[in-house]
Amino acid sequence: MSSGESPVDKQDNVRPNNLNLSTPKSPTVASRRQKVAKIRLALINKPVDISALKQLAISKDGLVSDELRKRAWPKLLDVDVDNIPPKPEPEILQGHRDYNQVVLDVNRSLKRFPPGMEENLRMSLQDQLVDVIMRVLVHRPELHYYQGYHDICVTFLLVVGEDMAFALVDKLSQNHLRDFMDDNMDRTKHMLNYLYPIIGKSSPDLREFMEIAEAGNIFCLSWLITWYGHVLNDIRQIIRFYDFFIACHQLMPIYLAAAIVLYRKKAVLATECEMCFVHSLLSKIPDDLPFEKLVSQAGDLFIQFPPKTLADEAMMIFEKSKAAAKMQRRAIAKRVTKGRFSTILPNGGSVIVSVTVWTLVAAVTAGVYAVWKSNDWGWFS
Amino acid sequence: MATQEISTENNETVADNVDKPTESSAVTVIEKQVQRRIFKIIVIGDSNVGKTCLTFRFCSGKFPEKTEATIGVDFREKTLTVDSELIKLQLWDTAGQERFRKSMVQHYYRNVHAVVFVYDVTKMSTFDSLPQWIDECDRHNLNIHIPRILVGNKCDMLDKIVISTNLAQKFADAHNMPLFETSAKDDGRANHVDAIFMTLAHKLKNSKPMMPVHMAQDQGRLPGNVQVVSLDWNRDRYRSADRGQSHQKEGCAC
Ligand SMILES: Nc1nc2c(ncn2[C@@H]2O[C@H](COP(=O)(O)OP(=O)(O)OP(=O)(O)O)[C@@H](O)[C@H]2O)c(=O)[nH]1
Ligand SMILES: [Mg+2]
Repeated sequence: MSSGESPVDKQDNVRPNNLNLSTPKSPTVASRRQKVAKIRLALINKPVDISALKQLAISKDGLVSDELRKRAWPKLLDVDVDNIPPKPEPEILQGHRDYNQVVLDVNRSLKRFPPGMEENLRMSLQDQLVDVIMRVLVHRPELHYYQGYHDICVTFLLVVGEDMAFALVDKLSQNHLRDFMDDNMDRTKHMLNYLYPIIGKSSPDLREFMEIAEAGNIFCLSWLITWYGHVLNDIRQIIRFYDFFIACHQLMPIYLAAAIVLYRKKAVLATECEMCFVHSLLSKIPDDLPFEKLVSQAGDLFIQFPPKTLADEAMMIFEKSKAAAKMQRRAIAKRVTKGRFSTILPNGGSVIVSVTVWTLVAAVTAGVYAVWKSNDWGWFS
Repeated sequence: MATQEISTENNETVADNVDKPTESSAVTVIEKQVQRRIFKIIVIGDSNVGKTCLTFRFCSGKFPEKTEATIGVDFREKTLTVDSELIKLQLWDTAGQERFRKSMVQHYYRNVHAVVFVYDVTKMSTFDSLPQWIDECDRHNLNIHIPRILVGNKCDMLDKIVISTNLAQKFADAHNMPLFETSAKDDGRANHVDAIFMTLAHKLKNSKPMMPVHMAQDQGRLPGNVQVVSLDWNRDRYRSADRGQSHQKEGCAC
């Protein structure tokens, strides 16, 4: 957007919320101001203090406002906003093999735009969204479009406008999103295989329950490949997650998924031990989860069980033929499951150890540009 | 708002019962003892043919104003009464994009009791890819005796129809499936969408299932959008509602 006003940014003006009006120095407002100042400082530094920015992006409330994100995201992704390649001619964009699918998906993306947005504005943003996506795909012929990529692009479009959205997503598509953009989804599938090992380390009983239910991991597929853009209703929440993911390892969305599932453990164990029930319970994310807490728990899980320590197990899952043994086990286990889990497990403690944001930054970002590309999380060739 | 409906419908079917007080009314107690048969139905077909709209229409009685591309698999369900037996249909609404079909949704083909193939009557390519979808089913070793039905959607777009009933019927006959042409959007045909799934429910109920049919102890949580519908269905009326467009093949494998 040329105006510089983001259509979704409602938090740019620091204003106290009603509950805090009586308290002259509301801690939220004060800490928010303080954070804004810190982010500005990190940005003014020459060179920009990337590691401080990462810490700020990860810690509570992320980068706070869209005005700051416009400045910080390009730095975090090492994107040169002054040299964005120009938009190719429409015929070139429209000639791409994925163009039709992109249009179909963007036409169905109404939910992604803030409610109450004027229709004309929304329609013009939808046109821009198609262009952002097509520009990346044309620019990177080796990349393949997937349904859900549009959910990522729309978030960037709404925060930073068309040109910069293109530049940022173009970069992300070579890094964090690269594995989703093969011509098949094998690598995406493999990333999903990290979910159960993470859950299992923290809560073996929950993992077992979900395995017996054969809940699978497709319930969080959209979480992973859209960075939660597809599943969350509140765009502010989505954008805050984007701060977190941009600053972290590409598997962080899976760690967050694990944190969410662990948080809902009680509800999961209380459902029937059947795929459909568990799948449908988990595939929606309630609006009222304590998202900041979950972000920090995802970080804690990452520190405790970094991808490398899970790689073998994830690989095993990948290779394991699911059929006979599991079916048999399921048949036997199912008979006892319900009673067993509800009586033994209410206090089946989760072992999440808290770590500081700084530790997390060090762990998730050490040489991150170097390792993104090289599948350091144990993918095989 | 339609979006809200889409986003909450699944929660209703499997409510977060942990936080709820335990049900106490007498009615609930009686409900709890009802055994229901559950049938699992997978809905497949190309992207944008209207799988999400059809399943939503059936389960919630409305055409969703804002659908989104399905990523992975969505789950919807509806409880019906067929010949005074309560049965539950679980609909697995799958993603149509080829990349998802190939690696993501296999898990959900397991133990299905019926398959619904959907194409878009206004788009030839969606009809042309039906053989691939059938292959896909065969590859998952779905028993040949599992009921399969073919649904041509978007019949409301009269002047855009490119797949004639004739052509579709030939294809359906060749593959031993009944054909239904319908519209998820047209409120006038909404009953028709119901009738399609009712037909399926009827067949399933009367079939000796090759796969184990789940029995559910209904926990008394009858979600808001799961209607308990009394099935007042008869073939003749249904056929006339159909305006002769669809035709049910006798001796179909179900
Ligand atoms: N005119 C008309 N449009 C329809 C009908 N059913 C669906 N649509 C429209 O077709 C588009 C696709 O519908 P969906 O239900 O999202 O398609 P889908 O098969 O689930 O697509 P994927 O999730 O991508 O596999 C939407 O824009 C719907 O509004 C119909 O009966 N008539
Ligand atoms: Mg769909």
